[in-house]
Amino acid sequence: MSSMNLYYKEARYDLLSIMRTPGFVLPALAFPLMFYLFFGVFFRAGAGADYLLVTYSCFGIMGPAMFNFAAGIASDRAHGWLTLKQLSPMPFSAYLLAKLSTSLVFSVCILILLFSAATMFGDVRLHSTQWLLLAVVMLAGSLPFALLGLLLGLSLSDKAAPGVVNLIYLPMAFLSGLWLPLFLFPGWLQQLAWLWPSFHLSQLGLKVIAQDQGNSVLAHLGVLALLTAVLATICARLFRRR
Amino acid sequence: MQSQPQAVLQISNLHKSYRNQAALQGATLQMAAGEVLAILGPNGAGKTTLISAILGLIATDSGEINLFGQLQRGTKRSTALRQRLGVMMQIGAASANLTVREQCDLFSSYYRNRRTVAELLDIAGLGSQANSRFSSLSGGQKQRLLFALALAGKPDLLFLDEPTLGMDVQARRALWQQIRQLKASGVSIVLTTHYLEEAEQLADRIAVLQQGRIIALGSPAELTAQISGKRICCTTALTDQQLRALPAVLQLERRQQQVCLVSQAAEQTVLALLQADASVSALEVKAVALEQAFLQLTAKKEAA
Repeated sequence: MSSMNLYYKEARYDLLSIMRTPGFVLPALAFPLMFYLFFGVFFRAGAGADYLLVTYSCFGIMGPAMFNFAAGIASDRAHGWLTLKQLSPMPFSAYLLAKLSTSLVFSVCILILLFSAATMFGDVRLHSTQWLLLAVVMLAGSLPFALLGLLLGLSLSDKAAPGVVNLIYLPMAFLSGLWLPLFLFPGWLQQLAWLWPSFHLSQLGLKVIAQDQGNSVLAHLGVLALLTAVLATICARLFRRR
Repeated sequence: MQSQPQAVLQISNLHKSYRNQAALQGATLQMAAGEVLAILGPNGAGKTTLISAILGLIATDSGEINLFGQLQRGTKRSTALRQRLGVMMQIGAASANLTVREQCDLFSSYYRNRRTVAELLDIAGLGSQANSRFSSLSGGQKQRLLFALALAGKPDLLFLDEPTLGMDVQARRALWQQIRQLKASGVSIVLTTHYLEEAEQLADRIAVLQQGRIIALGSPAELTAQISGKRICCTTALTDQQLRALPAVLQLERRQQQVCLVSQAAEQTVLALLQADASVSALEVKAVALEQAFLQLTAKKEAA
């Protein structure tokens, strides 16, 4: 009972602490919506509003997942708060689950905003099972990005972390075809996309609306699962060893 | 039941180097349950390194650390052990965006044997600022909150790394009072400080740390006695060189006209002094205070 309480409190206060940072909340929610409305709905950059809904959803959930972890943890570390927690009997899993649940809350909000914009302004019509499946794929898919953020947060200084996240986040989003559809890219860039986890996640999402490139679901899932496992192992070591 | 009090902390021969800089060079000490041990030393003596090594924040190059009779391996410290520890680090901070009350609520949830939020607010003396965010507290208030958080789990062994750093005199005395109360309730406390007065006021024993070695260990009275000498002050025409040549002189300090000598055998030194210079005036002979003992200990080791 009391350990449940610990997990709940850790998660609640992590979310509360982030919600009190308007400089994080507003861009995290507004950017994906603005980008989708502009490029996906009004400008229709190279594909339909439904195709771009999937890729901008992917883009939207990656940001908070990576930033919440990388910047938040790097600053907790810089100020000594993380050290106090590491010295306390708080289990690492409570810390990790709290950060994950915070990034899930943001992901849910972003998906609600994007799905609403797609229905209202983009005339996107999907089966309820497709909506649901798309949401599940995106939420589960935020996990490896959260862990990537955690790794950066545990290894970079608080000054460097936000910059490095942008340096990874933005090029990776572009090269995975999240802004412009991948099929508009030259062939070698399409091949290169296999390197990026966001490519695999967006392909899984596109499979839901049958607009993916036709690779096997298992291949995409396998890459993401492997990446998740590797990142989780490294992070657990870093956390206990510092 | 007559039993030897259990050693809550025992370290032997700890070594730690950063690149080519040796931070710990064979630190050895032990501490009994219920004791307040002050680790006293100038800045850079290795106090924080020592605490960090004990807590497993850094790995040592060699040596042994025992906590509550259990040998600690590497940097791993069990959860059961952590339940019994309380820590206030020198560079500490709580989450900037959470209020005092929220931090207390969160931190006490980590412990099985926990203090209530009301108790923690009371310890921190921040009842009226319970709803202020950490970032809006003054330096002293932050320290008090971190002190309270260190006590959230009713620790058996408490580590305080320079707890009164940056506090004004009044706040410092208030914290001393709280430390005394904790001691009275049986908590073992390791305290690092570079204020001699703090160590003298609070500690049962003082470990003097110098360049990563514990160069003296004992009660304040024992440390003073280790320096069996006396302090002789006078005004004299003799040069420093002549004064140093007097029998039993360990140390010399000159302030304008006045010269102070620390002597191992004051009678011999005074006799020789008067023979060498009959014009000596304002002669005083006093026992060496702990502060001089401390200075002398650290100076002697540096020269060696």
